[in-house]
Amino acid sequence: MFELKVNGTVRQVEADDDTPLLWVLREQLGLTGTKFGCGIAACGACTVHVDGQAVRSCSFPVTAAVGRSITTIEGLSAGRAHPVQQAWIAEQVPQCGYCQSGMIMAAAALLKEKPAPSDADIGAAITNLCRCGTYQRVRRAIQRAAAGAAR
Amino acid sequence: MREQVVARSDVQQPDRRAFVRILALATGGLAVALAPAPVRAAAEPWRADPESEGEIALGPWVRVTPDNVVTIVVSQAEMGQGISTTLPAILADELGAAWESVRFETAPFAKAYQNPRYGWMFTGNSESSQAFFDLMRRTGATVRVMLTEAAAGRWGVPSGECRAERSSVVHAGSGRRATFGELATAAAQVTPPANPPLKLERELTLVGRSLPRVDVPAKVDGTAVFGIDITVPGMLIAAVRTAPTITGSVRRYDEAAARALPGVRAILPIPQGLAVVADTWWHARKGLAALQLEFAPGPIGEIDSDLIETRYSHILEDGPWATPVLEGDVAARLRSGAHTVTATYTNPFLAHATMEPMNCTAHVTAERCDVWAPTQGQELAVHALAATLQMPEERISVRRSPFLGGGFGRRLLPDFVLQAALISRAVQAPVKVIWDREEDMRRDQYRPASMIRLTAALDRAGRPQALLARVVSPTILRPVAPFMATQITDSRVDPSALEGMLEMSYEFPARRVDFHLFDTPIPTSVLRTTGFGPNTFALESFVDELAHAARQDPVAYRRGLLRTNARGLAVLDRAARLARWGTALPPGSGRGIAYAHAFGSLIAQIAEVSVAGDALRLHRVVSVVDPGRLLDPGIAAASIEGGVIFGLAGTKAEIRFTNGQAREANFDRYLLPYLAEAPELVTEFISGGGPLGGIGEVSPVALPAALANAIYAASARRLRAMPLGRHGLRLADSIGGVRHV
Repeated sequence: MFELKVNGTVRQVEADDDTPLLWVLREQLGLTGTKFGCGIAACGACTVHVDGQAVRSCSFPVTAAVGRSITTIEGLSAGRAHPVQQAWIAEQVPQCGYCQSGMIMAAAALLKEKPAPSDADIGAAITNLCRCGTYQRVRRAIQRAAAGAAR
Repeated sequence: MREQVVARSDVQQPDRRAFVRILALATGGLAVALAPAPVRAAAEPWRADPESEGEIALGPWVRVTPDNVVTIVVSQAEMGQGISTTLPAILADELGAAWESVRFETAPFAKAYQNPRYGWMFTGNSESSQAFFDLMRRTGATVRVMLTEAAAGRWGVPSGECRAERSSVVHAGSGRRATFGELATAAAQVTPPANPPLKLERELTLVGRSLPRVDVPAKVDGTAVFGIDITVPGMLIAAVRTAPTITGSVRRYDEAAARALPGVRAILPIPQGLAVVADTWWHARKGLAALQLEFAPGPIGEIDSDLIETRYSHILEDGPWATPVLEGDVAARLRSGAHTVTATYTNPFLAHATMEPMNCTAHVTAERCDVWAPTQGQELAVHALAATLQMPEERISVRRSPFLGGGFGRRLLPDFVLQAALISRAVQAPVKVIWDREEDMRRDQYRPASMIRLTAALDRAGRPQALLARVVSPTILRPVAPFMATQITDSRVDPSALEGMLEMSYEFPARRVDFHLFDTPIPTSVLRTTGFGPNTFALESFVDELAHAARQDPVAYRRGLLRTNARGLAVLDRAARLARWGTALPPGSGRGIAYAHAFGSLIAQIAEVSVAGDALRLHRVVSVVDPGRLLDPGIAAASIEGGVIFGLAGTKAEIRFTNGQAREANFDRYLLPYLAEAPELVTEFISGGGPLGGIGEVSPVALPAALANAIYAASARRLRAMPLGRHGLRLADSIGGVRHV
């Protein structure tokens, strides 16, 4: 039994120690916005925030999340109000959408650390894979969110 | 292929009788009498509302509630292409529905939702818009007439004086107004008109506009429901492991060790492997690990990429060939030409690698089979389930998840659906089967490797006098088009594997196309770009080589080959202009062009690269596309942009087989492009008229050749085989690139 603080709420979960955070979120807590893509932290579809840092939850044991603050796509904002989500809508970024929760969480973490990232910063920080190839719009949406925050 | 398959549309036109039959049911049993209720996922705008009280079906596509919510059924799978916006918008436009209050619902399997060209329900071949455009318009017009006549009857006025707008019918003379919801019950009694009048083009307000995609809100807040997110009561979860080799089988395993683990409910043999069924996926996965599975590799000799390439090379020398195209005296012209050019091109095996791995939820009992699946191929899945389960089709329901995390053709196949159904039947419970990435990549049915040799004779002016094309490829089409299987097997011609070769935009006075259908134990099937992709890489690289052999500019040379093709010239010229073709670039940089007429659309694409040592940077890609008519510029642009990256993936990644298995089983070795490597993209459209073309695949068709031609321009290295790594090149970050001089 673990106590996890997810999206601002303390939740009790029953899981083996070695369970990746991803599967606890999806199967125990019903937070299916976080996606399973590769299981080896190579694609980023499972990205969530742990204490504000982007973490690939498929390779992050639940035990390491105990006592820390976890944010998933469902908890990023109410009503899609986060500047990154707003920028994503404005730029019409998603295609199939499967990687986009992780992409948005990675972008939000980047902007927290670097409010005005260069294209090179974005390239270095956003290593999430998108098979539909939305990268140009991802770049544009991050720049838009950064510009909006700067105003 | 198109001719042969399209011929089927004569057999099964959209079924008007079914439409009428549903209308007859509408007052009593609603459309659900014909088909299982569509799944509604808890995701806006597919909100999990209960079916509203008093909702009226006006045919299979449209339902209206008393409080005037119009629901439009989406026949096609939404896998990123925006079809759940584009098709309903066409219908809503003709209907006169207020777009912001339209709801969408994903279609169940039913005859009404079949692609009218084939009488077959599937999503693919870049033709959802092409095939459904007329049907959506006609359906919208039909329902509009029914509603208008109901209003005219109520008011005792001629229906010609009434018009539909913003989900109401209005009588111009009196100013009376009634909502669709108020009119629906009466409208359901109106006989659908045989030839409803369509709106004038200028009356259309949604078609041709960039609409916000209806699926975007749910895709930025995590509420979009994919197949992997489906939950049904009492559901168990299964993880599976099959042999890593293509033809392998289970040798031994430790069942007791897995059975002892918490949460594990069942351990089941499945073809070539085992399934562990548990309360959670992680428990199932741990169960698989505890099994200590050992596999027998099976016959592996033929499953080797090097060997296959050697075989292809021998076939290119010796045949045998089927010859589906023979125009003019090719042999004589090849002998008499002033100059003969020949080159051989190699395309690798590719994996679909949808970001959402294969998964399926099934509940099979003695009485019926219920499936919830992220599928592009509902009809094939129903037929396959009926055959496998020995169950009549009317007891089988295949419901499509609202969203598919990529498709690219992989989800046309029913293998993962059948597997889930069999596991459910064995454990007598609803089961969701989720493949891990390794299973997904090793049990793919790949884009086949192919080898293509092109030979042309040029006259003294460098003009081609004859073309001989020889293509060696395993099948592409057979696994997804059972109605074509016998023809392909008997004729030894796979029309999909010859796309881009059977019909060509370029004019050659004489032309021959030879094909060898290569039999391999490696499963192969359709992948976005199908045969157009590999064949266009060869043809467009070759035309570039011909241009250089003729000492002509590659764009000018293509202009010569397209001289009577006004639409082809238009995309070429516009792309050349946007890319500043002909202007100077720094040393080590270059531009390359590729042209294609594929999936009904024309494209000219120009890549701009620089090469420094082993580092290849793709700076910019200009795409100019003529789809005949542009339905939604924003959605189309997104598809062309994404297609560049998809095409780029096909030059960076490959599946290679050694010792009977795919060397690449996850994204650590199957190397998709990253954001940092993505070029600046410039995309433009020309609406050149003519039949509506497809948008989803034309961009990745052109990209590999545009890239290879740009590399040649930059470095004088001619890449006749993909991926780039074979030539010691690696894709480097695109940022900080070329300065235009």
